[in-house]
Amino acid sequence: MNSVQLIERLCAAFGPSGREEAVAQLIKEQIKDICHSVHTDRMGNLIAVMKFGDVNAKSRKRIMISAHMDEVGFMINEIKSNGYLGFDTVGGISESVLAGRRVTVLGKDATLSGLIASKAIHHKEKKDRSKTTPIDKLYIDIGALDGDEAKEHVSIGDFATFDSPFYTFGDGMVKGKALDDRMGCAAMIEIIRRLKENPAEGNTDVCFCFTVREEIGLSGAKAAAYRIRPNMAIVLETTAIADIADVPASRRVADVGGGAVISVMDRSTIYDKALVSMALDIAKERSVKAQVKRYVSGGNDAGTIHKTAEGVKTLAISVPTRYLHSPACVASINDYYAVRDLCEGIIRASASKEEI
Amino acid sequence: MLDKDKIKQAIFSLCSVMSVSGFEKRATPYIESTFKDNFDSISCDAVGNHLLVKKCGKENAPKVIIDAHMDEVGMIVTGITDDGFLRIAPMGGLDVSIMQAADVIIYGKEELRGVIASTPPHLKKDDKLPAPDELLVDTGLNGKAVKELVDIGTPVGFAPVYGELLNGRLIGKSFDDKACAAIGICAVASTPPEVLAADVYVLLSATEETNRLGGVSAAVFATDPDYAMVIDVNLARVPDTKDFETVEMDKGISISHSAATHRGLTLATEELCREKDIPYTPVAAPSSTGTNAATVNLVGLGVPVVDVGLPLACMHTYNEVISMTDICSLASLVREFISSDKLADKMARREDIII
Repeated sequence: MNSVQLIERLCAAFGPSGREEAVAQLIKEQIKDICHSVHTDRMGNLIAVMKFGDVNAKSRKRIMISAHMDEVGFMINEIKSNGYLGFDTVGGISESVLAGRRVTVLGKDATLSGLIASKAIHHKEKKDRSKTTPIDKLYIDIGALDGDEAKEHVSIGDFATFDSPFYTFGDGMVKGKALDDRMGCAAMIEIIRRLKENPAEGNTDVCFCFTVREEIGLSGAKAAAYRIRPNMAIVLETTAIADIADVPASRRVADVGGGAVISVMDRSTIYDKALVSMALDIAKERSVKAQVKRYVSGGNDAGTIHKTAEGVKTLAISVPTRYLHSPACVASINDYYAVRDLCEGIIRASASKEEI
Repeated sequence: MLDKDKIKQAIFSLCSVMSVSGFEKRATPYIESTFKDNFDSISCDAVGNHLLVKKCGKENAPKVIIDAHMDEVGMIVTGITDDGFLRIAPMGGLDVSIMQAADVIIYGKEELRGVIASTPPHLKKDDKLPAPDELLVDTGLNGKAVKELVDIGTPVGFAPVYGELLNGRLIGKSFDDKACAAIGICAVASTPPEVLAADVYVLLSATEETNRLGGVSAAVFATDPDYAMVIDVNLARVPDTKDFETVEMDKGISISHSAATHRGLTLATEELCREKDIPYTPVAAPSSTGTNAATVNLVGLGVPVVDVGLPLACMHTYNEVISMTDICSLASLVREFISSDKLADKMARREDIII
């Protein structure tokens, strides 16, 4: 399975915040035989540990690598008497990408195809035709004829995600739902494989945390970081960018094709200065394309990890991704390689240091 | 017998062929190769109307048209930016609120995939809907590469992905009106010639969505039929709509009562439905049907026409919804309509030279 196929499989898995089991299962299958241990903690985080150097050494370093398994999605909050389902978003989704979309509902016994629908444009008043349809005017149609039939399949509190095909297009681009953050998960799986083949040097534990519930407020990573108490942490992410026509350069955040995005500051973290410099140096040494994030926006698991216990030096490396949190996220596969390769380089360099 | 599965596959297959208004001729090779064994002739006129003819073998047989429009709503390229994004304009009455983040196919020198750009919540100031001319298609290519493959005027269609909901509801793009076209073709193709009461002209008409219902008239004029049935989709009843302007799904087809259609043929079609146990709902469309029927009615010396509707939800989006139950009702009606000697006798043209 090559990188694109791995990303495709991960993106296809159903995993809105709070229901990450299927993603965790898929990841576990990929890495269970090549790590020292793979455990699921009480929050649902999947934590895989690789130990390098002398396992009995008195002082060992601990590096935490983190990517979140969850994706933005929906929760059913009403089953209407006409068989349609009312819903709310899980995580931040813009109302402008809801109407007309296909969704997958994880019902009682099986997944169901559904459609986020509203009345046709023909029935909309003229003033409403140029407006986004608000979520309370939208409903999910699963084809049920009435409320009783809908209740046979779905309960209040059931989850749903976008149903959107993954494909490659253009010049090395990938498109799909849940690239945020299954690309981070894919990078960790590939780094684990490489470290298995060619182990890192130094007395170091590298703890790969596939975390839950990032999209609703960074909650899974909090428990994972507290359990691991790492000396340093690297968050592998996607970052929302707007490098498209008609957007001024000052607001584009980063560029597709520009390589791994290294964050200096976002809405939840001011990143460790030394780690940012090291990342840029290693990118140069290893000829990996990298760019510094040019806009203070967004946030990720670093926001909670860096505040854990006595505090953790934290770095975030992201794949610049267009149209984040939509059913059609777009990223460049070369930028994904850059994130993967840069992170591997930083792990190797940090693991071999006396102190980090 | 009508084969449900065959009809469903025919619908998915025909609806997948891009035929944005004005580009119906792109479908000619598909139509010819797929249906040539079931019809006596297949042709395409200057406007883009396709005509599939099946003769009944009787001398001086009357001619009946079964019309469904072949064009679909879509987009056209109006500009190409230096960084490889396309500017687009809607072709037909697209719902702009469903366009952001949609998967599209650009039918340039090669078929290219694209995504309509959207702004993520992280970078958004408000949830204002962009005007159609502010929409961009992301091709994933740089400006130079795009310009080699795409010209201004290139059609852009939504990517076809078909699926099913509960209760035999089908979802996907372009059911308006190619689902009806596929149903019409299947119904006619599966009827043996000796059963036909008239020579049947299945008309897959052009530019209904953009040309104020005008494309159809050229083919109707050339055919000069004795009577005609227009089959098009009809707005299904969903929350927040009025009962009188919608039709319930799963209750069969709709038959329009309108000053723009032929009353005698309309009543005879309803009678046929009752005789053959085909469920239908009469609807009132006072001065216009909003379909090709009103245009067909006024071609040449005038054509008696009945307007029949297939209930459809989420019209003019890429996930329209139709019901298998209604599809079967429509297929049965088309079959009975072209096989009814009573109707053919009633509608066959008499010498009506007045001056």
